[in-house]
Amino acid sequence: MNKPRTRRDFFSSVTNGLHGAALASLLGGDLYARTSYDLKPQKPHFAGQAKAVIQLFMNGGPSQVDLFDPKPTLTRLAGTAPSRELSFAISNGQAAGVLMPSPYTFKKAGKCGMDISSALPHLAECVDDIAVIKSMYGEHANHEPALFLMHTGRTIASRPAIGAWVTYGLGTENQNLPAYVVLDDPKGLPINGISNWQSAWLPPLYQGTRFRTEGPPVLNLEPRHEIPTPLVEAERNLLRKLDAAHLAARPNQPELDARISSYELAARMQLAASDALDVKKESDATREAYGLNDPQTATYGKRCLMARRLVERGVRFVQLYIEDQIFDSHGNLESSLNYACGKTDKPAAALLKDLKQRGLLDSTLVIWGGEFGRLPMSQGGTGKNAGRDHGPNGFSVWMAGGGVKGGVTYGETDDIGFKSVENRVSVHDFHATILNQLGLRHRDLVYDRHGLSERLTDQFPARVVTEILSKPVVG
Amino acid sequence: MACHNAASPQAKLDLHTQEAALKGGASGPAIVPGDSAKSLLLDKVVSGQMPPGKVKLTATETDVLRQWIDKMPAAATVAVSETEVRGILQARCVVCHGSEKKSAGLDLRTMASRLKGGKSGPALIPGKPEQSPMYKRIADGQMPPEKQAKELAVELPTDAETEKIRAWIAAGAPATTQPSVGMDIEPKDREFWAFQPPKRPAVPTANASNPVDRFLLARLRSKGLSFSPEASKLALLRRAHLDLIGIPPTPAEIKAYLADTAPDAYERLIDKLLSSPHYGERWGQHWLDLAGYSDSEGFGQDDGIRRFAWRYRDYVIRSLNADKPYTTFLTEQLAGDELSNDWRSAKTASPEVIDRLAATGFLRTTPDPTNSNERGLLAERMNVISEELEVLTSSVMGLTVGCARCHNHKYDPIPQRDHYRLSAILQAAYDPYEWRSPNKRELDLAPEDERKEAETINAPIQAELKKLRERMADLAKPFRAQLLDERLKALPEAVREDVRAASATPADKRTDLQKYLATKFKAAIEINDRQLERKYPDYASQAEPLRRELEATRRKMKPVPHVRVLTDNAEPSTHYLLRRGDPASFGEVVEPGTPGILDHPALKPYKPEPPYPGSTGRRLALAKWLTQPNHPLTARVAVNQLWMRHFGRGIVPTVANFGRAGAGPTNPELLDWLSTEFVEKGWSMKAMHRLMMTSRAYRQTSKVDTAVTAADPENALVSRMPLRRMDAETLYDSLVSVAGRLDTKPFGPPAELDIKETKEVSVKATKDGFRRSIYVLHRRQTPVSLMDAFDHPAMTPNCTERRQSNVATQALHMMNGSMTWELARYMAGRVVDDSDGDRARQVELIYLRALSRMPSADEVKTGVEAIQSFKEAWPARLASDNSAAPRTITANWLAVANFCHAILNSAEFSFID
Repeated sequence: MNKPRTRRDFFSSVTNGLHGAALASLLGGDLYARTSYDLKPQKPHFAGQAKAVIQLFMNGGPSQVDLFDPKPTLTRLAGTAPSRELSFAISNGQAAGVLMPSPYTFKKAGKCGMDISSALPHLAECVDDIAVIKSMYGEHANHEPALFLMHTGRTIASRPAIGAWVTYGLGTENQNLPAYVVLDDPKGLPINGISNWQSAWLPPLYQGTRFRTEGPPVLNLEPRHEIPTPLVEAERNLLRKLDAAHLAARPNQPELDARISSYELAARMQLAASDALDVKKESDATREAYGLNDPQTATYGKRCLMARRLVERGVRFVQLYIEDQIFDSHGNLESSLNYACGKTDKPAAALLKDLKQRGLLDSTLVIWGGEFGRLPMSQGGTGKNAGRDHGPNGFSVWMAGGGVKGGVTYGETDDIGFKSVENRVSVHDFHATILNQLGLRHRDLVYDRHGLSERLTDQFPARVVTEILSKPVVG
Repeated sequence: MACHNAASPQAKLDLHTQEAALKGGASGPAIVPGDSAKSLLLDKVVSGQMPPGKVKLTATETDVLRQWIDKMPAAATVAVSETEVRGILQARCVVCHGSEKKSAGLDLRTMASRLKGGKSGPALIPGKPEQSPMYKRIADGQMPPEKQAKELAVELPTDAETEKIRAWIAAGAPATTQPSVGMDIEPKDREFWAFQPPKRPAVPTANASNPVDRFLLARLRSKGLSFSPEASKLALLRRAHLDLIGIPPTPAEIKAYLADTAPDAYERLIDKLLSSPHYGERWGQHWLDLAGYSDSEGFGQDDGIRRFAWRYRDYVIRSLNADKPYTTFLTEQLAGDELSNDWRSAKTASPEVIDRLAATGFLRTTPDPTNSNERGLLAERMNVISEELEVLTSSVMGLTVGCARCHNHKYDPIPQRDHYRLSAILQAAYDPYEWRSPNKRELDLAPEDERKEAETINAPIQAELKKLRERMADLAKPFRAQLLDERLKALPEAVREDVRAASATPADKRTDLQKYLATKFKAAIEINDRQLERKYPDYASQAEPLRRELEATRRKMKPVPHVRVLTDNAEPSTHYLLRRGDPASFGEVVEPGTPGILDHPALKPYKPEPPYPGSTGRRLALAKWLTQPNHPLTARVAVNQLWMRHFGRGIVPTVANFGRAGAGPTNPELLDWLSTEFVEKGWSMKAMHRLMMTSRAYRQTSKVDTAVTAADPENALVSRMPLRRMDAETLYDSLVSVAGRLDTKPFGPPAELDIKETKEVSVKATKDGFRRSIYVLHRRQTPVSLMDAFDHPAMTPNCTERRQSNVATQALHMMNGSMTWELARYMAGRVVDDSDGDRARQVELIYLRALSRMPSADEVKTGVEAIQSFKEAWPARLASDNSAAPRTITANWLAVANFCHAILNSAEFSFID
């Protein structure tokens, strides 16, 4: 009998004659031995294209019909009243407005001729490297559950984030840096706070580590300034001596070995993390390209640049958040989107170009998107004052690098961009695709919890969106 | 089809005919005509779950299937039953036309009340949908009214649901019920060990007085092994202290224990620790892990505080310290409110009554987003219920039932129906259709003294608030008049003065005309502070400091003491099996009950009876059912949890899963003996601690002999004690305790957090030091950084077993964090005070306090030299800081602090031999 990969596989293969208890106890040794965890690199399930992920999370829900998904019909029907289904979709109790066309123009960009909004002039230069999925759909029209869905696969607060799953599955290449780094906005935590990168019931070491973009990046990375520098080293030497003696008296205790080496790692991390985040080491041209010299783009640009430096050094998963639901355009659609895109468009495009030019794009999967899209009708006023409410039924995201085909779009929404209708992509499909590019099969990336095999895609059907892959390898 | 045919329908599913496939099986219909995405059949095929085994359908075959389903006419539906229609009405209508509210006199819950109807006549005319308002108004989009639906978090009926109501009325509105589609439980399934009551086995003969040892030795001997030698006296002392009370022994306790050479010194030590008030603080945390305790709602950025959750935490600590029988402990947590109704309509209550009510906090722990109507939709409410059920079953029953929310359990004989039987028990307390949101879960009831204390504190604050509000009003008065003038100018001159007069008259004294004017010109006459601020910078700048003062004063108010509880609605809604867990797919009606697999002739069946009018008794009946002495799971799961905490691994390693997918007991006889012993000892947890901890097994050394590890690699036979790292709370409490900074004040509102600009979260000190970790505010969004690094769980929703990691961030917190350095300095201060300048004595004291042992001569020498050399670096530093502190004394103290700091960072401190 082949060794079963997971408990679930095992039990699916149990024939009627063999019953659970005896076999489960036979297996017990194998499956429950692991009570201690580390971040050493793990072999993927198959040879994936990507080694690392950079997720550019666009908090608030970017408007698909104003950015990626042009809808001439919406222009034609401008000002007409929406159907009952549409008007009920407005969530905050205001009466629904009228169907509202995009204030932006769409141009064919790149060699591929992809439609792209005038709100994203910099991304327009990169369309040959990105694949836009126009037919995403979620389950919930509110930020909190929608964020949980995008990050954990369910709308509830109790499951591990995708970054935690990835580091659980693959470990990390550089032990001197955290495996999973979060670059949140210095202005404050996103909605759902630290739950966006939680490990939930996965072992806590797989949760995201927040790096601050100013000052020491990791909490308590630097020795206490009150302690004279020579004493920091002297204390460390004393500690080495004490621990060595303790260990010598207790041979064959791997936990003790691990704990002692974690102290050595901590000392190295101090140097490694400071170096990784030191964007002053970059050329002027690079800093300019990321928009570091422009107050509008400086903070997001800096985080994009840091993200590149981190994946360059072997960090597995980097997540960027953007201030205060910047894409949550309930009112003043055009000025609000101009603000959001003005902050993020140039840095995100610079990141793509930079990764490509350094040959890192092939092995780095970049993901761009929010927790949902927006509705085709207006809300909160008329004319310039009008905005759009949350729309989870159809929205756009893009992926680039890590084996994703450039210059393509996939799926369609209906005539007015309300619902995705063709080649629909669920959040589980989206997750399965990300895992696939890393060489992980979503069905096999399992964690034993209460004796059951938990996974990111839970028990939902999920398919890898092979249509956007340059080499449609599905593990 | 070999599995799903008419002759032997696996999971009651027959796929031979289209009709049979439409009817479906245990998980509901296999096919939804015209909608492949909603068809279970395709789901199973695409996800690879079906067919089982290696041969799957090809992509082309799957596509053929998909197209076949999509092309089926959607009208080919099965007849609609009254049960299903009732479900739809319950989800969409009864919040206004139900038990609490009967808008327009209409109640849509029963056949009789639908036929009777409301103000506009009968709601239902069987056979005539177009003349039945209950269909017509929905179909026309009049009902439910959108605005109210939003406010009440009700979703609109889908077209399919509306069509079902029509079809049912058209068919004559038959009062049929659907046949049960449960999964059969085979007699063979019942034979599984965990579903059989434990039988007390004979104790094996072996040379040991403690029966625990005899059971273990029997297995060890069969492998040619025996116990490892006993650990040293001091190693045992430290182990027992950390295990039972979570803090190391003090130097005085060490001295006394070493001096006690009586043969039963160790046994008396265990008794002493069991009677310590710190016992409940240590073991209470274990229970709070199982319950998933947190002081916050755990959802959203605000992560709202559960103001009185701590009463439940206190209840747990007190109950454990009192060694309340486990049966009582469970009963109070499941149904403390149903034990008597002496609390109803009372304003104050005795501490005992409050405790019993607070105990129900056990079923109020999971993350809960439903405070806002936007987040309080049915699906979210169902998630809350399902997670509460997970807490209950994983912690107390050792069963996984979460998967049966959507389909029959894959490994255990737990049909989907059983999940809904269990959730029906909670239905009266968590009625998803008449939901009590988190901010309505407090009872205005408190101990007399707390209420008085709050009143005394709040009276002067309220007076002050009143004054401040008057000052605000005075300040605003002229600006208000000015703004009103401006706005009136925009109105037709004819009405201007009348509107002014209406505005000046208090709302309840207005004439009819004034009322009309006030409504019509609402926009003109209603003026709020925000508008004034925007308009008049002068006003804004003067109001700002006042507002800040008002806010600061308000914050000084002590919250009116309440109790956070779980109580029943007397008339819970009908409870449905939800197909695939979808809140809009109503299956059969399910009555409260317990899993069928646990029906046993020796057990009294679950039977709810209202304990008093106003409560259903469903939870009390659950408690009674669970606490029967021969229940197959209750005692086993509890002793297994205790065993895991003491020995590092459960007798059943999967502590939360005693089912077939669990690992099974490594020593079934021991498990059953312990379970029956637990019952015989009156379900006393302290008796179990005593039994386990006084065994030879527990007293073994943790030193590893390679021959032993080869024979017993996982320590399944307990051939030694595992070397263990302190868990997050033990580490935190021990650091505070050895530094002499432990504030031992028990109970009450939690210690607050101190969130630094660097985002480091630490704990605010009280005037007496730091309170124990269990009394620290546990907020899911802001865990204490140090404990977070050491694997403190996030309670999602609970934690049945801690995982342990070894990562560099732990070292960073310990080496560079503010807390360890601050505590090292305190500790050094104490040591210097107690040592009379004697360096060797200082080193000894530090070893005694932190490591519970005397240092060797070599260690003293190393320590003395280290402190001497540390001392040399400080004067220069103090000079460059321009410190006013006396140089020599300060340098001496800080050098000792450096040594303490290194010891607190040593592996020996945080690992338990």
